[in-house]
Amino acid sequence: MQRIFWVFTFLLPFLLLSQEGTSTISLTLQDKTPSEIIQQVEEQTEFQFFYVEEWLGTKRVSGNFEEVALSQILDFLFEETNIQYHLGPDKRIYLIRNQVIYDELPTGFFGNKTTLLDTVAEIRTEEDTNPIFLNLDKLDGPLETRTVRIGKASPQAGNRTYTLTGFARSNSTSEPVPNLAIVVKGGEDGTVTNLQGYYEIELPYGKNTLITKSLGFADTETHVIMFNNGRYDFALNESLEQLEEVIVEGSARTNVEDATTGSNQILSEETKNIPLVLGERDVLKVATTLPGITTAGEGAAGFNVRGGNTDQNLILLDGAVIYNPSHFFGIFQALNPFAVKDAIIYKGNIPARFGGRLSSVFDISTKDGNTSNFSAEASIGPVTSNVVLETPIVKDKASLLIGGRGTYSDWILRSLDDEALNNSEASFYDLIAKYTHKLDDNNSLSATAYYSRDNFSITSDSLFGFGNRMASLQWDRKFSEKTKGQLVLTNSQYNFDIEFDGNSNQDFELGYTINETEAKLNFVHILNDKHTLDFGISSKLYLVDPGNRDPLNSESVIESLEIPREKGLESAVFISDNFKFSEKLLIDAGLRVSIFSALGPSTQRIYQEGLPLSEGTLVEEREFGSGEFITTYAGPEFRFSARYLLAPDLSVKASFNNTFQYIHTLSNTTTVSPIDTWKLSDTNIEPAQAFQYSLGLYKNLQEDMYELSLEGYYKTSDNVLDFKVGADLLLNEEIEQEVLQGEGKAYGVELLMRKNRGKLNGWLGYTYSRTFLKFDSEFREERINDGDFFPSNFDRPHDVSLVANYKLTRRFSLSTNFVYQTGRPITFPVGSFNFNNSEFVLFSNRNEFRIPDYYRLDIGLNIEGNHKIKKFAHSFWTISIYNVLGRNNPYSVFFLTENGEVKALQSSIFAIPIPSITYNFKF
Amino acid sequence: MRKGTISTYFSSTFLVGSMVLSLLFTSCVETFEPETEIFESALIVEATITNENKRQQVLLTRTFRLEENGPNPESSATVRIVDDQQREFVFEEVEPGRYLSTQVFAAEPNREYQLSIATSDGRTYGSESASLTPESQILDLYASREENTNGQDGIAILVDSQGNQSGTQSFRFEYEETYQIIAPRWVAVDAVVVRERPSPAIVVLEPKTEEQRVCYNTELSNTIILGDTEDTNQNGLIRFPVRFISSDNFIISHRYSILVKQFAQTREAFTFYETLNEFSSQTESLFSQVQPGFLTGNVVSLESESESVLGFFEVSSVTSRRIFFDYEDFFPGEPLPPYASDCSLEFTPDLLPSAPGGASPLVQAINSLRQKYVEATGDDNRPFILVNRPCGDCTALGSNEIPEFWEE
Repeated sequence: MQRIFWVFTFLLPFLLLSQEGTSTISLTLQDKTPSEIIQQVEEQTEFQFFYVEEWLGTKRVSGNFEEVALSQILDFLFEETNIQYHLGPDKRIYLIRNQVIYDELPTGFFGNKTTLLDTVAEIRTEEDTNPIFLNLDKLDGPLETRTVRIGKASPQAGNRTYTLTGFARSNSTSEPVPNLAIVVKGGEDGTVTNLQGYYEIELPYGKNTLITKSLGFADTETHVIMFNNGRYDFALNESLEQLEEVIVEGSARTNVEDATTGSNQILSEETKNIPLVLGERDVLKVATTLPGITTAGEGAAGFNVRGGNTDQNLILLDGAVIYNPSHFFGIFQALNPFAVKDAIIYKGNIPARFGGRLSSVFDISTKDGNTSNFSAEASIGPVTSNVVLETPIVKDKASLLIGGRGTYSDWILRSLDDEALNNSEASFYDLIAKYTHKLDDNNSLSATAYYSRDNFSITSDSLFGFGNRMASLQWDRKFSEKTKGQLVLTNSQYNFDIEFDGNSNQDFELGYTINETEAKLNFVHILNDKHTLDFGISSKLYLVDPGNRDPLNSESVIESLEIPREKGLESAVFISDNFKFSEKLLIDAGLRVSIFSALGPSTQRIYQEGLPLSEGTLVEEREFGSGEFITTYAGPEFRFSARYLLAPDLSVKASFNNTFQYIHTLSNTTTVSPIDTWKLSDTNIEPAQAFQYSLGLYKNLQEDMYELSLEGYYKTSDNVLDFKVGADLLLNEEIEQEVLQGEGKAYGVELLMRKNRGKLNGWLGYTYSRTFLKFDSEFREERINDGDFFPSNFDRPHDVSLVANYKLTRRFSLSTNFVYQTGRPITFPVGSFNFNNSEFVLFSNRNEFRIPDYYRLDIGLNIEGNHKIKKFAHSFWTISIYNVLGRNNPYSVFFLTENGEVKALQSSIFAIPIPSITYNFKF
Repeated sequence: MRKGTISTYFSSTFLVGSMVLSLLFTSCVETFEPETEIFESALIVEATITNENKRQQVLLTRTFRLEENGPNPESSATVRIVDDQQREFVFEEVEPGRYLSTQVFAAEPNREYQLSIATSDGRTYGSESASLTPESQILDLYASREENTNGQDGIAILVDSQGNQSGTQSFRFEYEETYQIIAPRWVAVDAVVVRERPSPAIVVLEPKTEEQRVCYNTELSNTIILGDTEDTNQNGLIRFPVRFISSDNFIISHRYSILVKQFAQTREAFTFYETLNEFSSQTESLFSQVQPGFLTGNVVSLESESESVLGFFEVSSVTSRRIFFDYEDFFPGEPLPPYASDCSLEFTPDLLPSAPGGASPLVQAINSLRQKYVEATGDDNRPFILVNRPCGDCTALGSNEIPEFWEE
């Protein structure tokens, strides 16, 4: 004990001096508390202190120092306290309450004092070293090796294995140690203690050496001589670790080891360094830098995943669907970045527990509130401000997180000179709240509520708005060590409305709403070492109000119209088995059976078989009563994927899956518009279906620092929707007469290289992909491009994205994005003509041309605030320039007839470099 | 009224929406010179026959390349309309691409008509059969001082109409506007060149021999104006805006007249025009563009189903009405809108050439027909003040003949 003290008091000041060089400090102290003094030192020097304020006490001291070494001041300050100081790399000083450390070290710990000192002496010569106490812990394992004998020898023992069971506990607290890895030295066998600290391991007869490893505990090594079945308990010493050095690598190899193909995780926190337009942190935008996920252009809402349409993505926020997670036509995401924890994206094999969309699942989770302290995080940007507050409700058990986000674009508009514009309104906001409650060790509850709203009033006579609303309630229950269950109830709604109040007699208001309520029960059961089952049921009720229109006032001649409500019930049972066939082969085989029924009351129009649906081929209108099943579609969805490990850090995976989708967007625009509506399948509109095959190679390099993956896919789809030229979709009672259902095919290869650690980190992705659609029919009006395959609106063969972040110092980092994409296909006229005294253009085949290629470079500089503990808040500045090259990337090309003449126009959204600065802080 | 209100509403919203964005986010919309990548020559058929007793008209043109200027008439075709009693109306080409029936006829109710065309290259085209739409009435046509959706002050020409179709009434409007032009700096005399050479030239003032103060000009509508009652509980339109003339447009400076023609349309014809309009107007928003494609009409090639033909044959009952109004009726005491030409600019060219043997600048100005005499200066070197021709001579902008229908 004294020896250790010696190490600290003499060695550390020495280290300090040697690194500090000649720098000295002058200080006059008058009746200051230690923390005030530290603050003063921080201000005068480049040193940063890390400590817990309570440890320092409030004893006030005075003194006068002229040109002395910092160590002198610190010695003075902590002379009669239990505080030790330690200099870490980069002029950081850690203040440690050493008593705690030493008190908890076991007495047998210092058996070999000479070795200890020798090691310390070696460390001394190293410049950038770990704190000594960490090294002490590293030493303890070999020093403590002991030998135990289990059971009594029996004559026939030599050729058998025996079972060793036992318990692991902490020496200091006597609490069980869960997740302790117990490994047989020199072999591959091993086990992990369960949550109660128990373990069981098969060991061969004779001498075995068991090594234990766990975060927070010192490693041990024990010789176990097995004579028979028996019991051995581990008592472990807690290890002390410098926090900064802890690298949690829990998911480091999931890339290689998971059986799922085509999945990515984005942590919201990771995205904070990525420069984005107007400094807005955006998990969904970052997702589009990953291979296989694209948008039709900047400013286009929605994603296209592996050649799928924008309506084929299931976007979940804490389990509930968000129909339109964007603000301002897609420029911003509608999720508060501070409230989002992460987004897991499945674009290849979708786990069986998800369903209802063809292409992908974006499973977004919000953060759990802080259960111990009040904390807040906020940002102020050029267009929006965000804030998230977290507060414990029941200490360590329940917490509440609330977040809000809004824009001041309204204010910007009003301050403009232009009369047309300063009467306009363009605002949006979103709110989120989450309550989590850990009822006991086995039960926890969480509830999330979310609301987003966009309003536009661009002309004085119209008001336009859209919004999402969702609530989810989740109950997690652990039935046993092996069985966990989860019940999730959700309700989501998307609506838009338009109010037109001009000075004619045509004033109206118009609205659309889709609402869905889902209950989902999901269990995970660990059958044995080899099988983990994931199974459950879910059922979802859709209520769609496709539109109503009402006169706004008594003068209006607008007739009230209400398109009858659509009802549908989508249910599914699912089961999947994560089957560890061998060490190398892991199979995830899932089956989901989904069933959809369109429910009455409804009037269904029956048309003549084999003819285009139109007024002329209408046979009858069939009435269905309330709750009556109109039509039912059902089908099996296979979700199969397998992984084979070629080496511990190299794997090959293959998957096959098929999906059904019973809900479709009605859109006759080339990109997503907020007034696109959703329609349920019915007698005339069949559900869409997709099949995907993928194969990939995954490799990690240099201890998981680099992750490489190469994945290819081939996908076909059926019954995808398109519309007749010039179709009217809003408030159309006979929408099926405008619908075309066709097939799609898509294929691609995606390459992703990630660097996870180091000063330079980020990823580089390249995708080659194609996506085609085909609408063929006997009738010309139902054919597109003569019934041949044609590239879809989002077919962008080459796609390169680079996201890189370089840490200059601990406080400064530079980040950059680079994106290159082939221009998207557009329909270009084949000629002009005269009609009605004006000139028009003639469009013939769809998507035969492309707008020029898209590329963009963004850079950002991130400045972390000072790490002073006393500071009110931890701050973080982001200065970024979007589109540094000022590339005028065309977004669309269109042709207008003005004064009888054709005018060709090309639009772009962000045509010049856009600088922005955002201030973030948290406390 | 579906497109009448809702789409116009969207178009303006999204257009201004993009303006807002352009201010906030530097988005931009710029024009470019398009070039045809693949040219497709397609026949364009414009054939609306009406219940007016006249020589009915069919227009045939072909598409032309984007970088070229139209129209591209289709000449020497054989055009015929046959009715269900096998009566045949033959058309003859009166000018390139313009075919008129050889005899005067009016479409009759309860008859089926069909158009057939044979082009000079031997291809044949036919339309679906069409019958006359029920007659509709213009109940009222009137002008009213209004603000449009962009807050611009001006005169709206509004129509109240009544249809007699079953269900939704669909109308297409065309107009012919005629406006009086009064040259603001007209004087009774003109500078006339008597001798150009040898120098000095002789220019004298003589009384004008023709009317140059008051003229009339007539223009045809060149936009697709559609109105329907789809979303309303009416069987006609009320206060339907056919034309909006902003208060700074010089055409309403004096007396103005508009003839509005109302065509009762079938749903199919209406949808055809509506889609054509949608592809070519500001419904194309910055963020979501209407998916364009080939517009199917009711005229097809009889040889090849895949040949693109764009056209619509309709038999439409038409009704028309004319109104007149004066600027004073709506803007009493208010200053006139700016004239079509800047009349404050005055020119005083030298009589003598700047170099010996050169031309007289004054003579050149008069002979160019771009400037008109307005005042004498008394200075022999620069004897006359000239202004832009439209300021002193209204025939630069219109005809000095009073139209037959004109009422003062």
